[in-house]
Amino acid sequence: MFMKRQLPIAIAAIIGFITLFGWFVSEPNIKSFVDDDATQWFDILASFAIFLGALNLLKLQAMKVMKQQKGWPYAALAIAGFLFSFSAGFILLGSYNVEISQYNDPAKVATVLASEINLDEKSTENILMAMPEGDTYTIETPYFTKNGAEDVVEKINAAGGTANMRATEWGSHISTRGSLFNWMFRFIFTPLSATMFALLAFFVASASYRAFKIRNFEATLLLVSGIIIMLGRVPIGGNISAWFIMYIVVLSIGAGVNTWFKNRTITLATVGGGILLVTIAGFITGWPIDQPGIFYLPVLQDWIYNNPNVAGARAIMIGIGLGIFATSIRYILGIEKSYIGE
Amino acid sequence: MEKFLDFIVRAGSLDRRYIFVVIALVVLLPLFFPLGLPIRPTIASQKVYDVVEELNAGDKALVSFEYGPSTKPEIHPMAVALLRHLFEKDVKVYITCLWPDGQFMAMEALEQVAEDQYNKVYGEDYVLLGFRPGNEAVIKGLVSNLRKVFTVDANGNFLDDIPMMTGINQVADFDYLFSASAGYPGTVEWVQYAADPVGITMSTGTTSIQVNEVMPYVQSGQIKGILGGMPGAAEYESLIGQAGIGTSGMDAQSVAHVVIVAFIIFGNISFFVERRRSKKY
Amino acid sequence: MKDKQFWSVAGIIFVLFMIYWFAGHPYFVSERSVMFWSILIVGGVLIYSTRMAKRGEKIFLRTIPGLKAVEEAVGRSTEMGKPVLYVPGIMDMDQVETVAGVVVLGHVAKMTARYETSLNVPVSRAIVMKAARESCRESYLLEGRPDLFHNDMVHYLTDDQFAYAAGVNGIMLREEPAACLYMGKFYAESLLLAETGNSIGAIQIAGTASPSQIPFFVTACDYTLIGEEFFAASAYLSQEPELIGGVKGQDTLKLLVTATVFISLTFNFFHDLGWISWDILGYLTVQ
Repeated sequence: MFMKRQLPIAIAAIIGFITLFGWFVSEPNIKSFVDDDATQWFDILASFAIFLGALNLLKLQAMKVMKQQKGWPYAALAIAGFLFSFSAGFILLGSYNVEISQYNDPAKVATVLASEINLDEKSTENILMAMPEGDTYTIETPYFTKNGAEDVVEKINAAGGTANMRATEWGSHISTRGSLFNWMFRFIFTPLSATMFALLAFFVASASYRAFKIRNFEATLLLVSGIIIMLGRVPIGGNISAWFIMYIVVLSIGAGVNTWFKNRTITLATVGGGILLVTIAGFITGWPIDQPGIFYLPVLQDWIYNNPNVAGARAIMIGIGLGIFATSIRYILGIEKSYIGE
Repeated sequence: MEKFLDFIVRAGSLDRRYIFVVIALVVLLPLFFPLGLPIRPTIASQKVYDVVEELNAGDKALVSFEYGPSTKPEIHPMAVALLRHLFEKDVKVYITCLWPDGQFMAMEALEQVAEDQYNKVYGEDYVLLGFRPGNEAVIKGLVSNLRKVFTVDANGNFLDDIPMMTGINQVADFDYLFSASAGYPGTVEWVQYAADPVGITMSTGTTSIQVNEVMPYVQSGQIKGILGGMPGAAEYESLIGQAGIGTSGMDAQSVAHVVIVAFIIFGNISFFVERRRSKKY
Repeated sequence: MKDKQFWSVAGIIFVLFMIYWFAGHPYFVSERSVMFWSILIVGGVLIYSTRMAKRGEKIFLRTIPGLKAVEEAVGRSTEMGKPVLYVPGIMDMDQVETVAGVVVLGHVAKMTARYETSLNVPVSRAIVMKAARESCRESYLLEGRPDLFHNDMVHYLTDDQFAYAAGVNGIMLREEPAACLYMGKFYAESLLLAETGNSIGAIQIAGTASPSQIPFFVTACDYTLIGEEFFAASAYLSQEPELIGGVKGQDTLKLLVTATVFISLTFNFFHDLGWISWDILGYLTVQ
């Protein structure tokens, strides 16, 4: 019971207290604990915990495959993907370079090299000829396997050149351009991640279509400001004249007047008068696209972003900040014990 | 008329897959047939440009890459545009990454801009310090002692052997800080643990979604300007006069936004027809 | 701790601290004293509110529809014979929102144990998996249904944000849970999850303190706990006076913060006009 109750609360309280008040103490050991050690301890713990997660993932997916549950081929793919990326990072180096230091006949070596660097023989020969004496030429893209690199070395040596194979150092093989891991990152992980993020565009469209309805006054405000932001933020908004927006405003006022008075004459007079006023003002000023500024979408968008939006964001941030602080204090003082199941 | 209203009501509960197809088309078509819409920089983007413009040749800029492949389409164009501007002005660029995949993004951007476009020399004009785990602890470490966090760069070279690292020991030694951020750790952590305590001039580039969260810091002057998503990148490209991926994506985004607005309006018409009918019966 | 004991301990600490303070407070970073006193005041208000609540003071906690709906959601899942899906965010246990998410999970697990409904908790961090598992185990034990608990109801998917979103979406489409609860720290995956949940017709309740994700959850979910509501969830669900007192303390603090904002604004206004030389903003800025 002590290990599961009092001890975790004591650890949370002591470490929390030191971390909170350590910020006000200029003692180097406490400072170093607060700034570096505490967070590094967490990172180390989290790094080891990843094994637990990985094992749990493999166990569940393997069970799905064995029991042939619904969607088991995806589980098989997940296991294969895990094993492949694990191997590319920890087991297979996947990055072997071929370096050419000497050659007797550049034309012969170029014949072999051309197909490796995807150039024609003449250009390849020119590259070799331009190489300074005593320098080496490294084929830019490394080979995934040792055998692949050695085959090319053999071919170049047979063509009268002197080539050798150099394996990339462990660790830097992750970031070496063209290595197996780097290839996986660029051509599998990158497009898959970008695809998932890109789905947002579609989901935003369908969510807006469903949710942006004029149900009440607040929803109408949300809808109007949403449309202004959407159009004002992109170049097309800058091409919509402020006068066009003014006409829309006049029509909206007309709709409001009609709902309020329910009198066709008053509505017609409001709309007609408004349109006439806007048109006369337009002719007098020469219809400048961005004037008056308060009806120009990019200006309106900027205003909404910088004023109502920032005001709301600040209020929410202060509230959330207080919430986080209060919750942290509750944990430090041991008032909140739900995280250990109490 | 009744049939038309029936159609509108039915269309109101349109299967979302039709919406997906329309969005896919309107995003794809402008990429093949560009409209060339003019780009107007916002005040926040202009501010970033002005701050960089005030830097002198030889000044030191710390650029942090905090994004991965998923947010690459939004953040990468602005990172590339900013690097172009910095190299154009012969500012020395130091790159750190708080995200592991940020290092890959940084390598790609440097290859494109520093090596291929400006022929800059590694170690003299720019250096990739690389990724270190620890989130905000890394920022705190950079503020107190950079040499403790980084003893070698991303290529394994000792910092003492890199010419442009001479005299660089902490964040205060830099003249400018830019965070290209897609989440945590990112802009907010840089403001809280570096820019505010040290007083270094800082700007940022974030995803469109994050702008709301970061805007209060911009308005209070803690961050000097923000590039928001792809429009921010396009605006910066237009400011430096070098059109890139951001600019080409703007036509697609413009048309997509118009179509979404059209969908919303149509959805509301359908909602009104349906409501009127339900009231009637 | 009883009142007498509490005030004795608090008094001793205060006296010792005052001695330290007037002895020149060695090792103390004086530039941060504003922050230090703020923490003491905030902590003091919270402790005071908690103790008042414990002594039996009646505290009104307004109904939070989102939390009221949690039980309905679990009940609906039971009626439909479908599982409850619980997503505790994508961040680690060093984020308070994740801890709050795990705390709410404990309450949800009690309900699923009571109703004998299956619970599925995919997580994106291994430490969260351990913590969430322990929380569920305790809840099932407290409800007297340890037989219904099994380790794999809390399972790890991946650390990667979008791979995790894809994994959870896959679970939603295959298992079609009747209720999807999202409680924790979220980023761009929030809409991907909530829209997929919407497409399968699940009742959805979200709780987060990520300001940029709140609009997405509000749009796509049936109920959303915004910021503080989410942190108050544990108090609301447990009805423990100590925790409810903490919520009241938060409200008192809000009043204090608002008053500080107005006072600072006035002083800053006078400073800008040149009437006073004291720059309050410089004083309040964190060093």
